[in-house]
Amino acid sequence: MTNIAEHDKNARHLLMGNEAIARGALEAGVAVAAGYPGTPSSEIIENLARVSGKRDLYVEWSTNEKVAMEVAAAASFAELRSMCVLKQNGVNVASDFFLHLAGSGTRGGMLIIPCEDPGALSSINEGDSRHFSRMLEVPLIEPGDFQEAKDMTKWGFELSEELRCPVMLRSVTRLSHASGNVVFGDLPEVDHKARFQHDGFILDPDTGIVSSAPVDYRHGLQQEKIKKAEEIFETSPFNTYTGPEKPELLVITSSACNLYTREAVLLLGAEDRVGILKLGTTWPLPPKLLEKHLAMTDKIMIVEEVIPFLEENIKILAAELAGSIGAKTFYGKRDGSIPTTNEMNPDLVVAPMAEVLGMAYEGASAEYTEKALPLAFFNAPSRDLTFCPGCPHRASFWNIHHALTLDNRNGFVCGDIGCYSMAILPTGFSTLRTMHAMGSGTGVASGFGQLGRFGMDQPVMAVSGDSTFFHAVLPALVNAVHHKADITLVVLDNSGTAMTGFQSHPGLDTDAQGGDAIKLDIRKICESMGITVRESDPFDFKDTQQQIFELMEIQEGVKVLILKQACALSPEKKHTKKFEMKVVEEACRGENCGCNRLCTRIFRCPGLVWDQEQGISKIDDAICVGCGVCADICPAGAIDRKEVA
Amino acid sequence: MQIAGSKELSEQVLNQDLCTVCGACVGLCPYFKVHKGKLAKIFDCDLEKGRCYAHCPKTDVDFEQLAQALFQQPYNGDPLGIYRRITAAKAGERTGTGDFQNGGTVSALMTCALESGMVDGAVLTDSDGLLPKPKLVTRAEDVVKCASTKYMATPAVSCLNEAATDGKTNLGFVGTACQLTGVAQMRLNPLEKSDFVDPIGLTVGLFCTWALDTRQLMDFLSTRVDLKTITGMDVPPPPAEVFIVKTGETVVEIPLDEIRELVPKGCGVCPDMTAEWADVSVGAFEGKSDWNTLIIRTEKGEQLVEKAVAEGYLVLDDFPAEGLEHLTLGAGNKKKRAKENVAKEEK
Repeated sequence: MTNIAEHDKNARHLLMGNEAIARGALEAGVAVAAGYPGTPSSEIIENLARVSGKRDLYVEWSTNEKVAMEVAAAASFAELRSMCVLKQNGVNVASDFFLHLAGSGTRGGMLIIPCEDPGALSSINEGDSRHFSRMLEVPLIEPGDFQEAKDMTKWGFELSEELRCPVMLRSVTRLSHASGNVVFGDLPEVDHKARFQHDGFILDPDTGIVSSAPVDYRHGLQQEKIKKAEEIFETSPFNTYTGPEKPELLVITSSACNLYTREAVLLLGAEDRVGILKLGTTWPLPPKLLEKHLAMTDKIMIVEEVIPFLEENIKILAAELAGSIGAKTFYGKRDGSIPTTNEMNPDLVVAPMAEVLGMAYEGASAEYTEKALPLAFFNAPSRDLTFCPGCPHRASFWNIHHALTLDNRNGFVCGDIGCYSMAILPTGFSTLRTMHAMGSGTGVASGFGQLGRFGMDQPVMAVSGDSTFFHAVLPALVNAVHHKADITLVVLDNSGTAMTGFQSHPGLDTDAQGGDAIKLDIRKICESMGITVRESDPFDFKDTQQQIFELMEIQEGVKVLILKQACALSPEKKHTKKFEMKVVEEACRGENCGCNRLCTRIFRCPGLVWDQEQGISKIDDAICVGCGVCADICPAGAIDRKEVA
Repeated sequence: MQIAGSKELSEQVLNQDLCTVCGACVGLCPYFKVHKGKLAKIFDCDLEKGRCYAHCPKTDVDFEQLAQALFQQPYNGDPLGIYRRITAAKAGERTGTGDFQNGGTVSALMTCALESGMVDGAVLTDSDGLLPKPKLVTRAEDVVKCASTKYMATPAVSCLNEAATDGKTNLGFVGTACQLTGVAQMRLNPLEKSDFVDPIGLTVGLFCTWALDTRQLMDFLSTRVDLKTITGMDVPPPPAEVFIVKTGETVVEIPLDEIRELVPKGCGVCPDMTAEWADVSVGAFEGKSDWNTLIIRTEKGEQLVEKAVAEGYLVLDDFPAEGLEHLTLGAGNKKKRAKENVAKEEK
């Protein structure tokens, strides 16, 4: 792995987009980086945390994205360069502060870096934060390749300092998580000095108070900054054109779609017919630059992912410029040439491009497709989204499902974001019945918990991870307690922000940089609110189910059950087996048992497999992590666990 | 009878609210369980045929087949079922004393059966607080502790199923009609399992006109008395038309009409008042509250009664002809009502 903190100027390295962004930040001399883990953004903070000692950096995993942005902003106010890193929906969490920050302006260069997930590969939304740039009036820049990911990060800090406002630098999964060549620049000597000047003239941007008020004045100032950004963007080297002087078709694109468009043109061999205007500065758009390129041809295609952000902004400009550039035909999302959901790829660009150009293009021959499809269908094993072997969530939802089903009052669970989101699927016995944003399980449950007055007699339950508890559950829980909502919250405490790779959180005694941190006790927090709190080990089915029953019996108010069991992939558990598991062949009655393959059909831990030949279950030793839980589900007692000495 | 699986059981019984929580489908697989007097299906099971369906007393029951298997004779449609004789009975001195609802005949018979080794264990219904709870009893002296009518649907057959899974045989079973119909069907090994062993040594049936939904009764009573203080319940013979709840100091009388609202729909389609598929059946004796009506149905039942009388567990008396008439009328009325309700269901 490349050490991104080496000086190594001019050396070429294969870097992941997120590493390139982190390197760019180091080259810019960033002093403070804060974020909340979320795919595909997490590696930026992780990489910076790793070199924080060497580069005089403060890096933290904040409690949530809003706090992360506030933490980073403070550094900017104290004239340091800072950044806030989050995933697309994290921008929504931070947006209230972001709105005010855009109004107050910044001092030291400050980047807001959302890494987004078109196609929702690791999300349950494909939110598009580009709209925040227009809505909150802050400049937006988007790297179109890996070198630019580094270079534009460095430039973004300079831009922010020049404009005195936060700058959004947006990445997407295929940039953040793919890798490409990056030539290193210089690393500056760092000797950060923080000082917050606040006693000058109150309206002085460098020494006065930092606030978006008085709004009339500051908002005007902010819009002047955007005007200035527009001017700067007119000559930005990150807006590039490749192609003939008079192309038949002009494609305007940005971000990862730049790569797809380039590939599509190559695939069609249409280099002399298609021009590509790749924009690195996507809001505000530079009008003169657009005017120059829009004038080249009357056919314009806009290639971008998800919602037509570029397209709409370009069309506004084209309407304004109609007198000089003439009428255009646009190909994009509005006319259906480019899809408005999911990720883009070269094939999705080739097809409409070939059509506009009147070229025949077959991505794959009919014969190939005919052969490949059945092969893929019959040979690729079907793999569900599933909890890992030994995952405590499987046991937790086993218990919750049993308790709610036995309770038999049509109770349900409100969920949110974490590995436990998968409990909406069969791997979690389809236990979750609502699933939204971080902390929403508890918030939505808090609302359901008021509906008894309207005749709702179903038990209401919510689940939350330990990191999520601090992130956004707390305000919802306070609300539920204050308003006496009748709910049971189950905290699935697997001791870490497990889904994104064990980042620290306030419930742990360590921080992002590996230093000592104050550990907050979820139980004590809940008890201090007067909540009845129970604790159990989800691997202990009997006790856990009993606790759930007892809590549900308490008719009024908020009840909390903390289920403690570390994630199977946690550093403390990984590569250790507590039990050696075995299916006793004589005891497993296979198809003759009344269980109808409970272990492999319902419980479905990947460590359990159905032996077709013998017609019984067996343990896949390569996959089983020896948690021992399945021994308790087999009604025939055929699964044996032996403690590993 | 066409045997189907749990999907059909759900469609035909559970979703129609016909389950009386007898427990016949519980303890055979991981899918059906009972919690606080209510049956729950934990997961879907896609087996085409299941014992759950085959044993359930609320699916189609083949009376002819049961009559042949249990009594070696054709089903005769008598409102009281097939029987050898009817007598009045009550516990003898050797039975000991318990919280008998009436004459203590059931306790007497089971104590005798266990003491004499006629059975090696007995599945009875005990209480856990107010909740009825099936229990496998192996010591004769524990039988009387389970005495008294619980009035609530009890998954007693589940306890028998679990004991059978544990390999126990020659067990006594005490239960109501739905439970005994489930047990009788189980004994036929309808799925022809090669490893099937009949766990039953002896069955004692309890007369039953209806049971009450456990949860509804709890909710109902909790608005009138402190549940923890309840010591017993009773339905005195007509024309009282009340349901009596005894607490430490007081007796609360509730009009029977209010209580009937809590009867599960499944009881309404039950044609069997006297637990026809048992070796002997026991119920109240009209006019003499410290005696029981005892119907002896099988040879084994006869042997048990003879032994119990001979060894002082049980005392018999003549059963009056007008009593028989009355009993037959009551049982016949239940059959008639059930038939009407089934017809209503089928509409």
